[in-house]
Amino acid sequence: MALIIDTLPGLAEKIPGGQVLVTSLDWLLNWSRANSLWPLSFGTKCCAIEMLMATGASHQDLSRFGAEVARNTPRQADVMVIAGAIVKKMAPRMRMLYEQMAEPRWVMATGSCAISGGPFMYNSYHIVRGADEVVPVDVYVPGCPPRPEAFFWGLLTLQRMIRRGETVRAPGVRRKPVLSALPQGIAVQDIRAEIHAALEAENVVDVENAAAASPWHGKLRQWMATNLYKP
Amino acid sequence: MTALASGIERREKVNRPAVRVPAERLLEVAARLRDDPALAFDMLVDHAAIDWHAENRFELFYHLFSTAHGHALTLTAFVPRDAPVVPTVSRIWPVAEWQEREAYDLMGILYDEHPDLRRLFLEDDWQGFPLRKDYRDPDMLEFQK
Repeated sequence: MALIIDTLPGLAEKIPGGQVLVTSLDWLLNWSRANSLWPLSFGTKCCAIEMLMATGASHQDLSRFGAEVARNTPRQADVMVIAGAIVKKMAPRMRMLYEQMAEPRWVMATGSCAISGGPFMYNSYHIVRGADEVVPVDVYVPGCPPRPEAFFWGLLTLQRMIRRGETVRAPGVRRKPVLSALPQGIAVQDIRAEIHAALEAENVVDVENAAAASPWHGKLRQWMATNLYKP
Repeated sequence: MTALASGIERREKVNRPAVRVPAERLLEVAARLRDDPALAFDMLVDHAAIDWHAENRFELFYHLFSTAHGHALTLTAFVPRDAPVVPTVSRIWPVAEWQEREAYDLMGILYDEHPDLRRLFLEDDWQGFPLRKDYRDPDMLEFQK
């Protein structure tokens, strides 16, 4: 993977129209990253029972989203789900786990305690007020604890973010954190429809129009007109 | 028995048998409670401290249970807040070693002749004893007014 990222864009820049290939490679990499998130088995409090055990079990079926391969070592994990409050003694350990994860890596903070300290916000000597004081957080999922549906909504938000965000040309560029609150009145059918629409949209690639919509399209036409189509 | 009973106060209006002893006689009473075959309190169920801040003293409690007879007893003792020193009972009930470490960690009770009086839950460089009523922390927002 590192070989492709390091060499292929540089090679492709020299070929006319090669940037189409790079863009497609971006799209392919982001698509594959979004659909093969490997979470870290890391639960600090009661949210972990909902987030990692209930959703990982067969009834909720986390593997629908390609995120069921929970790893026990941070070196093999992509996404860290902070499920629960972080005590001050845990904070340096959590930072070390985060720094051991390979880039690209993402962090989801689920539950009130991981977002702000929750009920331990006041008059507490041992809880970190929000996990984002220790590690950068990409997606916040509110709830106490969030239902598995809300967690899936946050996971879909993260996948959407990965698909639109980080590219092979700008690795490590982060978007702002997203508050992924599940809106009121959303049923399972709506989520299914959204997944279906997302899959449908991803399976149709209009290369011509995608290239025409890009900012370098005019330059490419100009280059081709001056260099290739000389009478 | 009469020599033992001097200074020991029997507490009424509690839902289990309870006695209060002076802190300096704690060790003697605890050894007798374990070794007397009629009492045989061979199990220390729980030990912790209560901070009576207005009275300027800590109350230590020892919940005892006898696996031989099936009876229970609560032993309590007061120590002053500015010098909270009591003898350790970890030689009588070895389980008290970690329970006393917890009480030291969170309340700052000092146990005389304890084999290993270190912090149990908090970091080694933690300042202060957080379960005391007058504990203050920069993260405690309600005290920043």
